Amino acid sequence: MSGAKILVVDDEPQIRRMMRATLAGSGHQVDEARTGEEALEKFRVFLPDLVLLDLNMPGMGGLETCRALRNGSDVPIIILTVRNAEREKVEALDAGADDYVCKPFGMQELLARIRAALRRAPSSAESGPHEFVSPDLEIDFDNRRVRVNEKNVRLTPKEFELLRHLVSRAGKPVPHRELLQAVWGPDYGDETDYLRVFINHLRKKIEPDPAQPKYVLTEPWIGYRFAIPENQ
Amino acid sequence: MASVALVGAIIFVYYRIVPVNATTVALTLLLSILGIATKWGLTESVVASIVAMLGFNYFFLPPVGTFTITDPQNWVALLAFLVTAITGSQLSVRARRRAAEAIARRQEVERLYALGQAMLLSGSVRSAARDAVNSIIRTFEIPAVVFFSKAEDEFFRSDAQTLVISDDQLRGIADREEPLIDRQRQVAIVPIRLGGQVIGSLGFIGGTLSTAALQALAYLVAIGIERARSIEQASKVEASRHSEVLKATLLDALAHDLKTPLTSIKGAVTHLLAKPHAPEEQELLTIANEEADRLHRLVVEVLEMARIEAAKLHPDRAPHVIGDIISASLKAQEESMKGRNVELRIPASLPAVDVDFEFIQQVLKQLLENAVNYSPPGSPLTISAELVSEKIVLGVADQGKGIAEDEQARIFDKFYRGRTSRDNVLGTGLGLSIAKGIVEAHGGKIWVTSEPGKGSVFSVALPIYNAELVR
Repeated sequence: MSGAKILVVDDEPQIRRMMRATLAGSGHQVDEARTGEEALEKFRVFLPDLVLLDLNMPGMGGLETCRALRNGSDVPIIILTVRNAEREKVEALDAGADDYVCKPFGMQELLARIRAALRRAPSSAESGPHEFVSPDLEIDFDNRRVRVNEKNVRLTPKEFELLRHLVSRAGKPVPHRELLQAVWGPDYGDETDYLRVFINHLRKKIEPDPAQPKYVLTEPWIGYRFAIPENQ
Repeated sequence: MASVALVGAIIFVYYRIVPVNATTVALTLLLSILGIATKWGLTESVVASIVAMLGFNYFFLPPVGTFTITDPQNWVALLAFLVTAITGSQLSVRARRRAAEAIARRQEVERLYALGQAMLLSGSVRSAARDAVNSIIRTFEIPAVVFFSKAEDEFFRSDAQTLVISDDQLRGIADREEPLIDRQRQVAIVPIRLGGQVIGSLGFIGGTLSTAALQALAYLVAIGIERARSIEQASKVEASRHSEVLKATLLDALAHDLKTPLTSIKGAVTHLLAKPHAPEEQELLTIANEEADRLHRLVVEVLEMARIEAAKLHPDRAPHVIGDIISASLKAQEESMKGRNVELRIPASLPAVDVDFEFIQQVLKQLLENAVNYSPPGSPLTISAELVSEKIVLGVADQGKGIAEDEQARIFDKFYRGRTSRDNVLGTGLGLSIAKGIVEAHGGKIWVTSEPGKGSVFSVALPIYNAELVR
């Protein structure tokens, strides 16, 4: 997918220059913000398809900006950071980011991540299920709508794709690698921490009791399984 | 003599001015003796009672004008005077002594309180000791005081007078834990005890303090000193924690500042590399890209080393299966291990290791990378794990050139590069010292055994997980 509108949020001018040149050179339309506050403003005007967000910024930090963006939008967000620790990664994903890239990075890798984040309708979409209905959970895959106990619930695109893939294989354990590749793309496979965080979010949103999930179950060592309650 | 005058005055008044009967005179005299006894004490009252008896006898008892006692009743009068004098004076002396004692106690309590207040302000053991000595002298009006602190083995003397008490004497009292009170020489030494532990001794020269006061004082000093000691320790801990936070912040800032320009370089170069170029341009861009990677690696390793040296490495330990760590590391090194035959010697039932997964994976990756880099292409590698005296020992063996004996200890040093390879293998010379830092932060050990010409085995001993050990 080329020609996407990308908002680059970074406090370092040289990084913004480099990103503008390389992303524009790859056919994207770029706008920049120097701070989290500016990013929120630019976001409303520029309406980007994707946000590249630096984690370490003065003032409103990257995590806070990520949460603020996520609050009103399901735009794909990729966090860029110099820190490469498991904890940071989980924190960023938990704040609502779709992906996490460590600085310094190769441009091809970043472009692949951008493509993966922008991919909204995986090939399985047409062949997948159209709906799932149970007394406390309704999913309308065609219109991307989820209702829990008759109330609308908003899922981010990644959460939605994750749910779609699990439901399409309902009752069977889906391995980590398969889920990652179905939702994030073929370049993924080892990022089981991504799954852990997103499954957590998903459970919080669709499970009546997230601590004792009845739909999204963990298959130890293998992956996850969507269970259809027996009383249906 | 006032008492004699008083008795004389009473006798004169009754004899010359107001004539009354003998009984009234006797009662009045009795009252006056009682008064004298309570006011002036035993001697005065005994003198007064004898004078009163003589006067009573001479002026009022028949035959008047003589000292003769005809009636035995008069002996009773004399006895009554004497008994009153003695009893009254004793009672009053006792009461007065009690009052004096009460005042002295109150003063001691007040002084102890003042001492406690003075010591409350001391921030360190030394200043608390000095404050104790000075405030005892000031508030208890004792000429000279010496304090011996056992933990510091230091003596705090108010002045040269205290040299009457020797260092050894003070140490001795602190060891024997029994006070020494020599009223004649006016020297007292008491041990300072708190919670059953002797923390030192306190010597006094001159001054008169009750044993109870001495003990209270010793207790007070003990509390003051221990309080200062705990404040001192707490502030030391706080200070070191503070400097640790500072170092961590500094390292994070440094990491950010070094990696930011690298990000711009790497981004720009890789973008250009993706486009078609003339061969020499392609070659130059490739060099720039590789060198950016190398610089990045160096930055990461140097910062990691700094973190280890600042003791900023906090392994997040949990039980892990060693096989999982080995397969994760092999996976991460997949690319460089291509074409290598890897033999795994891992028994099925090994206890879990108590380590930080990421850190130990990093160590193993480093050992695998070294094994690949320092052995001929295509030669086999062996990875083993075994339980040796309550530790899991991981081994990575290669069939390379080996490491000369004199180099074996030095390869874990910072920036040390093997003699034979420093020119043809890329590296910073930090990998193994980082691995060592990580392993040691887990309470483990890393070492190498090698036979030049045959190969090397790098071994890592890691603690096993013990569910009963609650951290």
